[in-house]
Amino acid sequence: MSSVELRNVWKMYGKVIACQDVSWKCEDGEFFSLLGPSGCGKSSSMRMIAGLEEISKGDVFFGEKRVNDLPPRDRNVALVFENWALYPNMTVYDNIAFPLWVRNMPKDDIDKKVLWAAKFLDLVDVLNQNVRGLSGGQQQRVSIGRAIVREPEVLLMDEPISHLDANLRLRMREELEQILRQLAVTTIYVTHDQVEAMAMADRIAVMDVGLIQQIGTPKEIYYNPYNLFVAQFIGEPPINVADCELLHENGHVRLTSDSFNIKFEQDDVDKLSCYTGSSKVKIGIRPENISISASSKPNSIDALVGFVEVQGERNVLSLKLKGGEEFLVVVPADVRPKVNSNIQIEFDTKYLHIFEGESGINISYQLPAGITA
Amino acid sequence: MENRTDTVSERALSAGELSSRARGRTAGRIIRILALVAFSLFVLLPIFYMFMTSIKDQIEIRASGALFPQKGIHLINWIYAWVTEPLHLFLRNSTIIAVFSTILVMIIAVPTTYAIVRFKVGGELLPSMILGGYVMPPIVVSIPIFFMIKALGLANKLPGMILVHTIINTPIAVWLLDSFVRTIPKELEEAAWIDGYSRFQTLMKVVLPLIRPGLIATGIICMILSWNEFLLALLLTTDPRGAQTFPVGISRYQGQHGLQFGEMSAAALSGVIPIYLIVFIFQRYVVAGLTRGGVKG
Repeated sequence: MSSVELRNVWKMYGKVIACQDVSWKCEDGEFFSLLGPSGCGKSSSMRMIAGLEEISKGDVFFGEKRVNDLPPRDRNVALVFENWALYPNMTVYDNIAFPLWVRNMPKDDIDKKVLWAAKFLDLVDVLNQNVRGLSGGQQQRVSIGRAIVREPEVLLMDEPISHLDANLRLRMREELEQILRQLAVTTIYVTHDQVEAMAMADRIAVMDVGLIQQIGTPKEIYYNPYNLFVAQFIGEPPINVADCELLHENGHVRLTSDSFNIKFEQDDVDKLSCYTGSSKVKIGIRPENISISASSKPNSIDALVGFVEVQGERNVLSLKLKGGEEFLVVVPADVRPKVNSNIQIEFDTKYLHIFEGESGINISYQLPAGITA
Repeated sequence: MENRTDTVSERALSAGELSSRARGRTAGRIIRILALVAFSLFVLLPIFYMFMTSIKDQIEIRASGALFPQKGIHLINWIYAWVTEPLHLFLRNSTIIAVFSTILVMIIAVPTTYAIVRFKVGGELLPSMILGGYVMPPIVVSIPIFFMIKALGLANKLPGMILVHTIINTPIAVWLLDSFVRTIPKELEEAAWIDGYSRFQTLMKVVLPLIRPGLIATGIICMILSWNEFLLALLLTTDPRGAQTFPVGISRYQGQHGLQFGEMSAAALSGVIPIYLIVFIFQRYVVAGLTRGGVKG
């Protein structure tokens, strides 16, 4: 096993830039996720690590070793493909054994290893079946078996469970996480599904338009998004966003729009008071950080209840603010205001993000402890 | 799911409606069978007629137009067919040319197709040029080919015919193989590279086994095309001891002693039987090859 590091990596397909100056390091044994919408460069990054794609500029390191010029078979990586890419004319056993007999391993050792993987992945009963007849979940496990059987330095996974149906996906996510934790192999996991990345990864690199947007633990990315893109990409239901104006007035900071007028107390807003950029900003507040207030308070906001979605343990309200914005609010199951009734809501300002209007950068972003700007 | 809606709707139908629907289905089947029988007759009748001609008396062939022999069965045509002309040499030549040209075609066409599909070799131009070679009638190039083969000293020689048939069948083979290679997901090959294969090993040990039906179909079709090819064989060969092929040989039965329909029929059938047998054995591959060719799978 080894760490994986990308240093200023670029990928160009003709004039199209897939990855721009991407740098990150995945530590030895870490579960690292590349997350982003389709076309964000996450798959290109992964394919460059695997050696399937040439690196246009920059370097990839496994540990101390630069691997740019190594062909895929000399990198000792394993890749679990989105469509699993099992060899359709072979049995489960042959599929798992394939990378071993390509390496001319003695037959007894192959037997032992395949059996170990099959036991580990609960595939012993189907070892002699053709892979065509297997269920999606089983095929998925065979592809993982083929990947782990030769103890790769790095395990790469490209949307390994996005082809499964929703129920199975949830189960496989849990299984997969367990398997990977037990193996403790360096894993780079590519996905467009933020829930998967949040649930499984040690750290996440969020990508968009070929650029790294933020790298951090799931918690950091959720609570402290670097910019508007990250804030909007992470979280379900998504974060509420509204345009407003940021005003400084004798020691206070005030956020105003047609919908609300929020006054910050001094101690909340050290970093806001030294903000000197454009006054046109956007606020972002997650649906669970909005509460319904019984009585009118200084910072409370008028809202009209659009609809109520009952989700069992919680309800999701869709509210219309005076300025026309639609906000989603997550409330406990017993809170069920009438549709078309007027209510008052309140933002938990501790979790209020303020993004610069143009660049979308989070003004209220806090650098992780130990790092200074 | 589909089944359930079907039974529900059938239950909703009254008995009368049900039987009329069943009747409609039977009528449809009868029409279909009649159409197939008519088509089969259209295709098979000439061959059957040829067989009947080959066992008729020589005089009867000219005298009567009856389908079945009236004056007993005569096998003399079958003997004459092999004696008056060196039929065995025609068949030998055709077999050698068909087998070797097909092997060469496959050796060239498989890597070519792979390169076109995976490496986009030749961009847009090469595939359309190959298609051009495929649709062009051979007579267009017959004269230059004649002079080239003559200049190489290969006229009326087996290697010459093998070369010519390789050249004219390669584009067709590429065209047929293309759709088969495209059905192999790229990820499968990438998985094999990552698992430790080189590109060439991946082609040989992962891709080829998976397109085996396509390889067989393409091979058979190339063999048939070579076996049946007439124009260039007529142009480039002069005698059976050289490289004259079966189709050209058949035309020689109308030679010295006038038209010998009986012998000709017997000779033609002798040459048709082996190729029919091959097609019969590999039928399902050939059908796959012809229906898949050019259509994205």
